Amino acid sequence: MRHPSTTQTFADKVKAIPGGEHLELCYSCGTCVSKCMIQQKLEPDFNPRRLLRMVMMDMKEEAFTGPTTWMCSECDLCYEACPQEIHISGVITAVKKIAAEHGRKTILKTAVVDQQTCVGCGLCVESCPYEAIKLVQEKVPYRGHVQVAQVDPSLCMACGLCSAVCRSTSIGVPDEFTDKELMEDLWSWLQPQEVLT
Amino acid sequence: MADAARQPRIDVRAYTEVEKVEGFVGNFKVTLREKAKYVIADRCNGCGDCAQACPIEVPNSFEMDLAPRKAIYIPMSQSVPLIYSIDLDACIHCYKCVEACGALEAIDFSQEDKLVEEDIGAIIVATGFSHFDPSVMEEYGYGRFPNVITSMEMERLNNSAGPTAGDLIRPSDHKNPQKLAFINCVGSRDKRYNPSCSNFCCMYSIKNAVLLKQMDPEVDITIYYIDIRTPSKGYEEFYNRAREMGIHFTQGRPSLITEDPETHNLFVHSEDIGLGHVIEKEYDMVMLNIAAIPQPDQDHMSSVLNVAQSPGGWFMEYHPKLRPMDSPTDGVFFAGACQGPKDIPASVAQGSAASSRAGRILHSEEWEIEPTVAVVWPDRCSATTKGRACGLCAKACPYGAINILSPETPAEVITAKCHGCGGCVAECPDNAITQLHFTDAQILAQMRAVLASKPEEKIIAFRCHWCSYGGADLAGTSHFEYTANERGLRVMCSARLDTDFIFEAFRLGAGAVLYSGCHPQDCHYITGQLLGAKRAKRLEKIFSRMDMTEGRFRIAWISAAEGDKYARVLNEMQTVLDNIPPEELKAEIDRLKPEMSKRLKRFPGVPDVSEAMEYSDALTKVINELKEAA
Repeated sequence: MRHPSTTQTFADKVKAIPGGEHLELCYSCGTCVSKCMIQQKLEPDFNPRRLLRMVMMDMKEEAFTGPTTWMCSECDLCYEACPQEIHISGVITAVKKIAAEHGRKTILKTAVVDQQTCVGCGLCVESCPYEAIKLVQEKVPYRGHVQVAQVDPSLCMACGLCSAVCRSTSIGVPDEFTDKELMEDLWSWLQPQEVLT
Repeated sequence: MADAARQPRIDVRAYTEVEKVEGFVGNFKVTLREKAKYVIADRCNGCGDCAQACPIEVPNSFEMDLAPRKAIYIPMSQSVPLIYSIDLDACIHCYKCVEACGALEAIDFSQEDKLVEEDIGAIIVATGFSHFDPSVMEEYGYGRFPNVITSMEMERLNNSAGPTAGDLIRPSDHKNPQKLAFINCVGSRDKRYNPSCSNFCCMYSIKNAVLLKQMDPEVDITIYYIDIRTPSKGYEEFYNRAREMGIHFTQGRPSLITEDPETHNLFVHSEDIGLGHVIEKEYDMVMLNIAAIPQPDQDHMSSVLNVAQSPGGWFMEYHPKLRPMDSPTDGVFFAGACQGPKDIPASVAQGSAASSRAGRILHSEEWEIEPTVAVVWPDRCSATTKGRACGLCAKACPYGAINILSPETPAEVITAKCHGCGGCVAECPDNAITQLHFTDAQILAQMRAVLASKPEEKIIAFRCHWCSYGGADLAGTSHFEYTANERGLRVMCSARLDTDFIFEAFRLGAGAVLYSGCHPQDCHYITGQLLGAKRAKRLEKIFSRMDMTEGRFRIAWISAAEGDKYARVLNEMQTVLDNIPPEELKAEIDRLKPEMSKRLKRFPGVPDVSEAMEYSDALTKVINELKEAA
């Protein structure tokens, strides 16, 4: 009798996480890829079908470094279209969780908390659709031990919802999507345009 | 078909439905509804003058609604018998057909449906299949975009006897399409609609592509597929020929079809798996290769014929490999796609096999059945003892083989219909039915022999003959190691497993009991497993109320292919036993003994084997007497 193997493959790990169970039903028809808006509008290398193959073929490194693991917005257009009813975004989230356990960080810009102004109200925690924010007790310079928000960069998708709900403008995605930058853009549009002669 | 109609011993009854089937193998009584055609069959010569005179036009369903037909019509030009019929829903009663028919006087509006009863020896079911309606898949736009057609519509457009005389045209502008896409697996291999493969579509789309390419080598055809399946003789060669002809094969299931509203050209979006990126291509016309599904009235037919259905809804065969043309009911056979989607060679082979099987019945005076049938002891039946038959046995029988003619007469088993599952035996509260070769005494004797020494170490595994026994067998031949404390007892079906057997096993001190059988859809006795499962659930509840250690009574449905599962279940049960300290197990067995004997219904006072054997002997005597009397 063959004994059950004791080593857990990448696929076993993914299947053990809720959402990743039906991984091996994929017969590579490609419906998810041609349905995906991120693939078509944002990142041509985004390919859920290929990620599922990588998981099945134990290709950890490739899965962790590719864009598919990090860029899925969980819109679930593919889930509706999948003939095998695989919850693909669930599988991707499972891969993402494993990647985070391995200390990998997202390739996207993520939200950052300004610990000096954060009051620890928890509004952002409630608003985050990816459950990437939690409140922690931390020693902050000049403020002592206070409760502040903390972003898990492996889960954050940089949607900016936290930034929109924050009453003290203490959280946001830097360089592009903080309140200040957006307001500057807005003001620049509202300035009277020079009329070209 | 015309050949068959010319045979003097073949009677073709078109436009006739099977209303009721009674009786058993060799002696069926079949009630047929001969539907009114409003045309007298003996007088109509099929000249068609009436159809020419008819002013009403309705869509012709044989042409997939691509052409009209009249209210008086024949379904297709090769119809056998060639007799017109009137569609009364469409008819406006202008009686122009009556005028056109003239002196033949074949039209008779006063006709009504006729019920006919026939004596039939054997039945062959060849009701075929139906097709999936792709309009529910909104992404493909069937019904919204005129140039998206189904494979059946393609078949008519491509046919020289079809509405366009074989000229393939686009429905939107009637031009010949130059760029075509065929999409395979529309509605099949799709868990949302039909999870199974429709078997013949791959070959079918290749055939259509080759036909079109032969007619016009310039035409550009792309077949979108998930997997191309060409498993039979010569099929792969045909596939290669199609590739050599320049037909494009793209691996990738399209997710969306969009339309250019002006030209009505179509854009197919899919991933090209070979290239690894998304492609979007423009086509003149798209054909959806739709799934084969069971007939809409398949459920009704299965209850009329008393045959079971497989999970997909198709009729269930007796054995998927060895007896694919036989139904579980003797004397009923299957031919073609009613039993599951299949292509022409397979349908022809199955049809020939079914007819020779049926011929065997018609040519024999006597019919052999399995000897494990149920027998009633009339003196014990509640009809005799209490004056009122309880009817539990008749309710339990999946084959309708038990007759209770009136409440006062004891139950009767129609031996020719009985398949020997033993469900009635376990259900009978008065111990008035037994199953030959699987009598209570025989099973009890086996159990006692097994539990004679160190019963607390033993695991009694009740297995059904067709699945779990096969599973145990496979576990052995595959050399899967499982506990040596297992003792297997075979019954024909889990429906035979009387609650008394389980109680008795525990009363005798068995360590654990496994109640195993087929998976519900695999049961060889139609609904036998369901009966067994219900009983097992009841037992489980009783044991949990008794506070028995969880896992000492285990239910598992194990198929003949699941040797690994059998071994795993047994090993898990052994682990349960190993985890109970011996003195605790002994205390539990002793505590539950009186509870168990209280629940034993059959044998008041629980007889020894010798007493059970006496009962068995008495029963054999009764059976012999009955035989002599007959």
